[in-house]
Amino acid sequence: MIVCVAVVGHQNNPLYLQSFTEADDALKLHHIVHCSLDVIDERVNNPKKTGPTLNETFLGLLYPTENYKVYGYLTNTKVKFILVTTDLDVRDADVRNFFRRFHLAYVDAVSNPFHVPGKKITSRTFADRVSDIVRTFGLGTAV
Amino acid sequence: MGREVSESCVDSLVIEMVSAYCNRFYATKPELAARRIEAIGYLVGHQLSERYTIERPRFSDHLEAIKFICKDFWSELFKKQIDNLKTNHRGTFVLQDNRFRWLTHVSIDPSPANTDISEEPSLATAEGKAAQATSMHLYFPCGIIRGALSNLGIPCAVSAEISNLPACSFVVRIKA
Repeated sequence: MIVCVAVVGHQNNPLYLQSFTEADDALKLHHIVHCSLDVIDERVNNPKKTGPTLNETFLGLLYPTENYKVYGYLTNTKVKFILVTTDLDVRDADVRNFFRRFHLAYVDAVSNPFHVPGKKITSRTFADRVSDIVRTFGLGTAV
Repeated sequence: MGREVSESCVDSLVIEMVSAYCNRFYATKPELAARRIEAIGYLVGHQLSERYTIERPRFSDHLEAIKFICKDFWSELFKKQIDNLKTNHRGTFVLQDNRFRWLTHVSIDPSPANTDISEEPSLATAEGKAAQATSMHLYFPCGIIRGALSNLGIPCAVSAEISNLPACSFVVRIKA
């Protein structure tokens, strides 16, 4: 189950942060997202891999904690997407698919003429689409 | 998920936008009109660059980003690529389009309106006016290029030069 998704701007400013848990652990999830920013910076500045995976938008598993797995994605425009999940065995393809759909939703949201670039995303349509993507995560529905 | 847009609609919209800003909103201040049109282009480029870079590896240097603008971005906008790209390798790029779409319908009237008296100055002013009106149409694409590059993390200044219609070149100066 996905417990948290976040969109972080190129100056590490939060653009969208949403947790999907009943319990009152939003602060803890925000902390995890915050920590993962450093990991992303490290990955991007010291790329170990070469070849086709170099500069790929999907950054893969950033770091596992006791209860969570954190995945990252960095767009060409230096916007970071972060996904926190409690699932232990996550298929790579599922995560890639998630980020692909999430990116499309994000692009539609920022193409809204009423959205101010660099400000938080307040669109309700975007929130609905994100929760829809989160709900269908890992169900194997190829969209 | 390709959505199609009528070409003639976009052409008309661009022409109408330029004429509205130049002749109605800021009729007496052409510099202000130019800045407003450029700002609209900036937003458009900002949003389009986000969309067209989906599923594309990140660019490692400036040249790659400029190449993306010349090839893929231009193809998406105008169904053709930039014809010639020159650079001095110090942050200045010249993108030349030999048949720029938004200038294909622009023509400069060779015969000046009033030929009866003083032919020479009226010819000069008519040409000057026509050139100024044409250059107004280039602020929007300049803004698009600047917006796209800024969103890709490259702050720059873009200006346009008209050689002979409908060819034109865009000069991109990357800010260090």
